[in-house]
Formats: sequence, C-alpha cells, structure tokens
Amino acid sequence: MAQNKWEVVVVGGGPAGLSAAIEAAKSGCRTLVVDANETAGGQLFKQIHKFFGSSAHRAGVRGIDIGGELLAECEKQGVEVWLNSVAIGLFKEKTVAVERGFDNGAKSVVVLEADRIVLASGASENAVRFRGWTLPGVMGAGAAQTMINVNRVLPGKNVLMIGSGNVGLIVSYQLMQAGADVKALVEAAPKIGGYAVHASKIARAGVPIHTGHTVLEARGDRRVEEADICAVDEKWQPLLETKKTLAVDTVTIAAGLKPLVELAMMHDCQMMFHPVLGGWAPLHDAKMETTSPGIYVAGDISGVEEANTALEEGKLAGISAAESLGKIGEADADRIRSEIWGRLDGLRLGPHGVMRMQAKSEQIDHYKSAQSA
Amino acid sequence: MSAFDAIVVGGGVIGTQAAYHLFKEGLEVALVERYDIADGTSSHCDAVVLIGDKMPGIDTEQGYASIQRFKEIVQEVPYDFEFKVRGLLYVCETEPEMEAAAGYVADQVRDGYDMQMLDTKDILAREPYLAKDLIGGFWSSADATLNPYKLCYALVNHMRAQGAKIYDRTNVTGVLLDEKRRVKGVETDRGTLLAKNVINCGGAWAPELARMAGCDLPIQPRKGLCLISEKAFPICSQKVQEFGYMMSKFEGINFTRNVSERVARTNVAMVIEPTDADNFILGGNREFKGFDISAEIESIQAIAERGIRFFPILREMNLIRAYAGVRPYMPDHLPVVSEVDNVPGYYIAAGHEGDGISLSAITGKMIAQLVTGKPTDFNIDKLKYSRLQKGGKSIEQ
Repeated sequence: MAQNKWEVVVVGGGPAGLSAAIEAAKSGCRTLVVDANETAGGQLFKQIHKFFGSSAHRAGVRGIDIGGELLAECEKQGVEVWLNSVAIGLFKEKTVAVERGFDNGAKSVVVLEADRIVLASGASENAVRFRGWTLPGVMGAGAAQTMINVNRVLPGKNVLMIGSGNVGLIVSYQLMQAGADVKALVEAAPKIGGYAVHASKIARAGVPIHTGHTVLEARGDRRVEEADICAVDEKWQPLLETKKTLAVDTVTIAAGLKPLVELAMMHDCQMMFHPVLGGWAPLHDAKMETTSPGIYVAGDISGVEEANTALEEGKLAGISAAESLGKIGEADADRIRSEIWGRLDGLRLGPHGVMRMQAKSEQIDHYKSAQSA
Repeated sequence: MSAFDAIVVGGGVIGTQAAYHLFKEGLEVALVERYDIADGTSSHCDAVVLIGDKMPGIDTEQGYASIQRFKEIVQEVPYDFEFKVRGLLYVCETEPEMEAAAGYVADQVRDGYDMQMLDTKDILAREPYLAKDLIGGFWSSADATLNPYKLCYALVNHMRAQGAKIYDRTNVTGVLLDEKRRVKGVETDRGTLLAKNVINCGGAWAPELARMAGCDLPIQPRKGLCLISEKAFPICSQKVQEFGYMMSKFEGINFTRNVSERVARTNVAMVIEPTDADNFILGGNREFKGFDISAEIESIQAIAERGIRFFPILREMNLIRAYAGVRPYMPDHLPVVSEVDNVPGYYIAAGHEGDGISLSAITGKMIAQLVTGKPTDFNIDKLKYSRLQKGGKSIEQ
C-alpha cells in the first residue's frame, strides 16, 4: 500500500483550508492540501462580486482575487496542493484515504498518515423537494453559479430562482449577466431574506420577486420545460387557486447550506445541531480542535458562515495544529489567536452576526462539557 | 404487566420471522428489540437467499425449504420485500477450483438440486462483463434474493396491523425463571413482560441474552463489508460469486487461491449482485474484529481489487458507500435452533453466520413448531443446543 506521511493534511482548498495550510506551513509544518476540484480556492473563484464589510475584512475586493492571493501564498510557503483529489474517508489513527488525481487524468487511491488533520470541506446546498425536483434542469443555485462563473456554461435560458437569501439574489444577477433571463424569484417567507442592495439590483433589472410564494411542480420531457408557482398561506400551505405556470428550462434552488460533516462523523467527532449554523456540525474548542484529538475544523464544516470567518477560522486551526506539533510556542500562538478572535468578533456583528456569535459560543461550551463528561 | 404466550427477543430477520410464525400459529406474541427493527446485522448485510453457498445435506435442504417458504410469505404479507428467484452464477479462476466445484455440483445434483457446470463461453453468455480469462463455473437456478430490511418491516408491519405487540427501543435486562428454572418472562428497561416461552433471536448478540438464562453460547461476531456502487446499466443480472467464496466461508476447504497478499489478509472473495434501484452490492469478506463495524480502507480496497479482477468494468464505476456488519458465527458452522433442556420454555434461534437471511423463513417456521410442540419440517437434532453442552461447557449455576 502506498504510504504517505505528512505533519498536516488539510482536506479542502477553499478559504478556510488554504489559510490553515498557509499558517501551518509558515510555522514549518510539512503540509498537504487535498482538493476535489480542478482549481483550489473553493467558492472564492465563483465570487466575482465585491465583498461587503470593513476594509480590514477585504471589503471591495472580489472573492476571485482573494483566491488568487491565497494560492500564491501557499506556493510561497511550500504547501503541496493535490487537485482533482477526493478525500474518500477518514480512518482510525488519523489516516486519510484520498483518490488522488493526476494531470494526465489518472487516479489512484493513496492512504495518508497525518499527525494533524484540518477538515475544511465546506458545505453543501440544501434541496427543496417538489414534484419534478429530480428532473434535469433543477439544480442548486451554487451549482448554477459554478457553471457560469467557473465553467462558463449557461445552465439554461429561462430561470426560476427559489429563495431570496443573498445567494439567491446574487446568483440571479450573475445569471442575467451571463445571458440568462430570470423569469421570477420566489420566496416562501413574507420578506426578502438577503441584503436590500442585492434585491434592488435584480428588481431594477425587471425580475419579479414573489414573496409568500413557493414552487409546486416542475414538468418536462426529460428536462424542465415549465414550472408552477403559487402563494402560500400563513401556515406555509400552498393556495392552489393562485397557481401560475412559468415557461422555464431551469429551476435553481437557494435554500441555504449545511456543513459537509461526513469525514468528521467517520472519525467519531461529537456533533451538535444548531439551526443558525446550518444543522449538524462538529463540536470544537477555541483552537478549532474537535473532540477527536488532532483533528481540527475550519470554515463552513464547523457551521455555515461566510468567506471572511472561514479565512480566520482556518488561521486558528493552522496555528493551533502547528503549536500542538511544537512548531510554535504557546505564548505566540495565544497572542495570534486572540488577535484572530478579535477579528472574528468583529465579523459576527449585526443582527445575523450576533446570532452566529451566540451559536459559535454554544458550540465551544458544548465542547467543554463533552470533554469534562 | 403484560402476559403473552411467547416473547421473541431480537428484531432482525430471525426474530421477526420467529415472531411471525408464532403469531400465525395463533399465539399471543410480543417482539422485543433493543434498538430499531433491523437495526443490527439485518440492515448491514447483502441480500441473498441461496442454496449454492451451502454445504450439501441439511444446510442445503434448509436453504431450499426456506426459499419455498419465502414464496408463500410473499403471498401472505401485503408488503413488498423485493423477493425474486433469479439464480446464482459461480465463477472459477483455476483448474483446482473447477475440480472442487465439479465435486460440489455432483453432490448437489445427486440430492436433486438443479445445478450445472459451465465453461467460459457459457458464463460469458450469462454475464458478458465478466473477465474473459475465467475458465468456467456453475449455475444454480433455485437461488433467490430479497431486501432483508424490507423483509423485517414487512413482517413487523403486518403483525402490528393484526394486533401483535412490537416493543422496539426496549432492552431486555433479565430472564425471569421460577423455582424449577422454568421461564416466566423477561425483565426490560420498560417493565416486565410475562410468558412461558422466550425465544432468543439475538444473532451476534445472542450470547449476552443467553447468559441471562444461565446458558453459554459460543457465537462470535464475524465482520463483513459491502461496497455500494453508483447506479448503472446492468453490468450483472444476478448474483455472481467466485468459487473461492466457499473458501472464505468454510475454513475446512483446502485449496489456495491465486490472490494478492491484501486479498488473502482481509479474507476477501468476490460476490456481486444488482439491487432494485440499479446499484450494485459488491462484497465481501469475513474477519474477526469484535463488534467494530467501521469500514476499513484496506478491506474496501481489497474488495474493489477482487471485484475488478472478475468484472473489469467496475474500475470505471464510482463507489458511493461502504458499510460493515457482523455475522453471528458458530465454530461448527451450524446455527442453534433449539429448546434448552434444563431451562424449560427457553429457546434459541441464532448463529446462522452468513445464512441468516436465507434461512430465516424456515428457522422461524421450525421455532414455531418447537414452541407449539409440533414435529419440525426437518430433523434438526444437529442444530440442538445440547450438542454444545456435551463437552461439559455449560456455565449453569
């Protein structure tokens, strides 16, 4: 069996994984990043829009540029990055099985031994089930965004968007930029979920936003050809008399994300359910270490947030992994961590941010009680 | 406190079948399961109801009778459990395997079973995606398949609808005996249940239940791993096994396969079958690892390697899931389907190793016959619990 030993193996090359790898490598750890995609950078490479927030948090910079910077820094620090490589399992004694992809398209399973593992596998999109939801042409809004912004393929010409969170709003706009016609956006809640600035952008472009509406059915011969929408009552039940049929070939679903936690579960990391964080996520301490010693989490896997918090959590995990391997002293690590936590607190402000801050501190509290139990 | 005629402990295939057959006899039955129905081995296994993997004699006879009984149960129970008779294809890699297979087939044919030897051309006609260098195999027409998880629920839902008591999430903590060591009932974490008959259908967990009645049962958990492929076109149309499977099952058969060190170490033999959902279940192996059912990467790789040896097209397919379970292994490869002489009213139906799904129907039927004092369909003296006590290994106080 091919054996491969690493000091730090990072699963997932998005903002959390890359920043963890950079910090670990900077401290002198032999570090590998494994990423399933053709390019590292995770969702950053499809974020062609500018970030919000304060200048300390890269406001005004586009996600795609941050991704490029991280990759350049990884190279500078000597981080090895395996692309087209899928972590297929996490086994006892911190072994990671990876289906490694090579440039010529070949693949082979490699079993890695890691002193420390950082899980930064991100999140997956939630599905909404309705009649016809498995027809080709029904997809996650994130998948549609990958198609247009990364693969440069238009998923369809006439789109029905489900969900008015920021993802639904931004992807609607980007689909229009890419040449699609967004026929409607439906939102079951009575109010738009995302930022007004994104909503008004697509409203100005003429997209009807139907709050208090849901999708009933998608129909078509082998792919979506039309879809029914209707209003819902205060108990979220469809009001069938309000049904309208839209001629669309694509239905995109932006119904939120959930942490991609399978690898953590395989290593028996203890989990906690928190609706604010997208569902089940591994418990972790302020160093991002899970209840399985030596296994760290960072980014959406530890609770769905956004790219800036992922970057900071990645740093926490990378520095803590390096510290536990004796590569950096406790005092230095503590100082850096407290700076990072200061920035994280700054990112978790505003009505949504405060809920996330509360949820994250509950995770850490549960970690403590799990450890003392 | 509730009183019944019989309490069946264990909600897997053996327990649900035992309860179902007792219920059919008109008894007041309670089925008690520690977790959910089909929570243990019955949801961590493959789907076979075979005769072609059984030793000639009582083993095969029971397997055949069980298949016939399943055909009746399909008519009796209004829930589908994907039962189909579609046969079994064995394939051989080497001449010594062909010789051993020919001997096996001759024995089975002599006993009246429909099996026939096949050459390379025949096996490729049945399964075009097999490797082209295999030298032959044999075909057994009586073999069947089903979904064990659905089987358990079909029986339980049917019984529940007819008024049987199903106590899931109920843990048996003790067996109640009177001063003459006669069974009075069981103690559970949710109260006492009374009955003059208690049937231990605990599978790999049967020994801890048996100890509550002062009985020693030498069943050990024997782990097996299954891989599930993505959905695909029919790369095989029935159960296909390598003859070396017999090797991994019965240590007694003496020949060496031409396998890698990894395949030998993990005791892997290729078995594959299609599912109703167009995925494929690829197995399998037999290892002693206690109750640890983690899917280990070395075993996953060995099963994939062996699968690709026989079906090279598997190399192109994605694996979507791997899971392991534990079989209830008996050192003499025979289950216990028996009363316990010195604990009147206590019965054991356990220790079927990899044949539990297969034999569940006939085992359930015979347990009902034992409990109601009727003659059993077969002479099952060889399955008696008392065979284990002859060496003086009872731990009774």
